[in-house]
Amino acid sequence: MRAVNAVTSSWPGLQVDRPTFASVAERELDAVHRYLVFLTGNRAVAEDLTGETFEKAFRSWPRFDPRRGTPRAWLCRIARSVALDHFRAEERRRRREERYARGAAEVVSEVLGPSALEAALAQLSPAEREVVALRVLLDLDGPTAARVLGISPTACSTRLSRALKRLEELIDDERVR
Amino acid sequence: MNEFAELVRDLRALPTAAPESLRERVLALGEPVPRRTLPQVSWRRSLVVLVPACAVALVSAAVVHGVLSSGTSPKPQALTSERGVAGEALAPTTRSPFVPPDANRHQDYEASMTVRVKDLDALTDRTNEAMQVARSYGGYVASVQQSTQAGEPGEAYLILRVPVGRVEEAMVRLSDLGTVLARQVSVVDLEQTLRQQRAQILRLKLFIARATEQLKRSLPADVRLRLQLQLQGARDDLARITRANGATLNQAALSHVALTLTTQKAATPVQKSSTGRFERAARDAGSFLAGTGAVGLFLLIVLSPLIAVACAAVVGLRAYRRREERRLLAA
Repeated sequence: MRAVNAVTSSWPGLQVDRPTFASVAERELDAVHRYLVFLTGNRAVAEDLTGETFEKAFRSWPRFDPRRGTPRAWLCRIARSVALDHFRAEERRRRREERYARGAAEVVSEVLGPSALEAALAQLSPAEREVVALRVLLDLDGPTAARVLGISPTACSTRLSRALKRLEELIDDERVR
Repeated sequence: MNEFAELVRDLRALPTAAPESLRERVLALGEPVPRRTLPQVSWRRSLVVLVPACAVALVSAAVVHGVLSSGTSPKPQALTSERGVAGEALAPTTRSPFVPPDANRHQDYEASMTVRVKDLDALTDRTNEAMQVARSYGGYVASVQQSTQAGEPGEAYLILRVPVGRVEEAMVRLSDLGTVLARQVSVVDLEQTLRQQRAQILRLKLFIARATEQLKRSLPADVRLRLQLQLQGARDDLARITRANGATLNQAALSHVALTLTTQKAATPVQKSSTGRFERAARDAGSFLAGTGAVGLFLLIVLSPLIAVACAAVVGLRAYRRREERRLLAA
């Protein structure tokens, strides 16, 4: 049996093929998860945020307009917003803990993995990791990635180039160790 | 990215697939219930549609306002208007447009009128007719001047004296000679002047009668001589005032009508009422638009501080959020 994975908008004059949410979720889940793994540098957190991202996307799905971008770019924008909220909450939590448990040993969460590449990735900033994820892993083109990041395409290219160069250097350092 | 080809390959080989538990959780969400929402239109596209739509609506409203308000025709000109605008024919009237003289009082009645006639031939004919009109009412033609030169508009200037009691009828007939371009009537009351003249005449007559009576008696030579001189002066004054009184009565009896007949065309064409309505509609529509613009400008001036504050707040908030994002992602 063939699943229906696209519907047509019922609005006159806006005849646009609109995919179903389920098909988009199935197709883009790995990409969004990958992006969040890179952005947060933490698999467990990425898993939670991915779930949160799709819940948010589920609620916002009627507002999605296929003419204004791909579902992947739209989901990445939601994922980024969810991740930023997470970072803010984490920052507040950290401040609170620092205030009440001064001197306590910081708990280091499990990051990407044990390989040299993953260790090097962990040393990059989230901004550098996310541009790598968007451009390299998710294969978004320059303008789309720039729109997700809220920067110009030139700045996006520069950031990607610097991130990859720095990543290479860090990998070399890791291998030397 | 060719220089980082190996690195890219390694990055893509990293195990980052979503775990099964997450997949199940996400797929369990299912399909959102379709809601009929308004189509999402960007604000730029909205502006592209809304601005011309508002402009068209505004212009339409102005046109409708102009047409509706121009539907009521302007008030007719006062029938007793004494002088028309240069070049504009005065409206024909159902009753006499001239100020009638008061039959119970002596008045100096002066009128002037400019009448346009068709051509030079008509000018001669109408001049003759005007003279006949004056005579037919018991008056006479005091003077006539007619000038006709080839290539130039002809003109005849007549001074008519018509009995005051019939001047109104005469003026109506004279105004039928052509198109009345201008008319003016001046009425000056002469009763006071006549009263003074009569009083003087009476006083002088009394003096003359007394002086004549005294001269019949025996008087000293010097007194007689002085009285005779006074009597002579009084007789001279009486004659002069009597003549003046006659002239005043003559003035009150005969009106002075200055009639100008001309073949000169009107300086501006006579405007039809339909053209006037179109112009009124356009003017009303223009004033409606100007009024709307004034209201809009007023609102813009009043609200501009709030708009500026709102814009500054939006820009500031965006800048703050970007800075915060950069800080969060730089950690």
